[in-house]
Amino acid sequence: MEQKTKKLIAGVVALVVVALLVVAVYLKFGPQAEAGTKAYEVTVTNSAGEVTTYDGKTDAEYLSELMDELKADGFTYEGSTSEYGLFISAINGESAVYETDGAYWAIYVNGEYGQYGADQQPVSDGDIFGFVYEKAE
Amino acid sequence: MKKQSKWTALDIASMGIMLAIVEVCKHALDFLPNIELVSFLFIIFTLHYGWRIILLTWAFSAIECVYFGFGPWTITYFYVWPILIIAVMLLKQFGGEHPLYYAILSGFFGLSFGFLCSLYTLVIGGVGMQLTWWISGIPYDLVHCIGNFFICLALFYPVNQAMKRIVK
Repeated sequence: MEQKTKKLIAGVVALVVVALLVVAVYLKFGPQAEAGTKAYEVTVTNSAGEVTTYDGKTDAEYLSELMDELKADGFTYEGSTSEYGLFISAINGESAVYETDGAYWAIYVNGEYGQYGADQQPVSDGDIFGFVYEKAE
Repeated sequence: MKKQSKWTALDIASMGIMLAIVEVCKHALDFLPNIELVSFLFIIFTLHYGWRIILLTWAFSAIECVYFGFGPWTITYFYVWPILIIAVMLLKQFGGEHPLYYAILSGFFGLSFGFLCSLYTLVIGGVGMQLTWWISGIPYDLVHCIGNFFICLALFYPVNQAMKRIVK
C-alpha cells in the first residue's frame, strides 16, 4: 500500500478512536439522568428581587423537561439552542439581554451555581432549582 | 531609504473580502449549532495566504465580540482560531494538498473546540470547573467534529481549485 494512503487511513482511524474516547468520557463523567418520580422546587427571582416558587413531583429527567411541565402552572420561558446548550433569554416574560444590559438568567442547583445548561441539568429527588436574573459585574 | 510595506493594497482588500465571506458564512449557519464553515474557510485561506490569516482570525473575533458582546468567554476566540492556523501551516509542510488530510485536521479541531474554549475557566474556577464545562459540551463537540470533517472533505477540492485561480 502506498505510504500516503497508509497515513490517510491512520489519520481517519486516529480521529475515530479519539472521538470514541471522548464519548466514553462523556458517558462516564457526564450528567446522569435519574428515572422515576422526584420531588422538586423551582424558584424564579426577577430583576426586582421578587421570588415566585413552584414545587411538586415530576418524572422529568432534565431541567428543560421540568420547565416545559411547569408551563401548566404559568411558568414561561424563551430560549434558543446554542453551541453551549439551551440558552435562556426570558423567564416569566422578563428578558435578560447580555448584549445590551449585561443581564442573564443564571441557574442555581441546590444553592450552587449550575454547571450545565437547562437541557443537560439532571433532575434528582429533592433538587431545588433557582432561576435568578443577574447582571454582570 | 523608505522601507516598503510587505502588504499591498490588493492584500488588504483581499483580507477585507475574506473577512466578509467568513462573517456571512458564520451567520448564515447560526441556526445549526456547531455546523460551521469558518474552520474550513480559515484552512483554505491559510493555505493560500499563510500566517497573515492569524490577523484575519483576530479581526473576525473582534467583530464577534461586537456582535455578541464582551464576556469572559470572548478571550477564547482570540487563541482558539490561531491554533487552527498553526496546525494548518504545520500540515501544509508535511501533508501536501490531499482533501482528507485537512478534513481530518478540521475534524480534530471540531472535536477539541470545547476543550480549547474551556481552558479560560481554569483561571476562573480551576480544573474541576474546566473539566465539567468541557464534558457538558462533548455532544456539541462531536457534532462539530463530524460537521467539520464532511464539510472540509466535500468543499476542499473545488474551493481550493478556485482559490488557486484567484491567487496567482
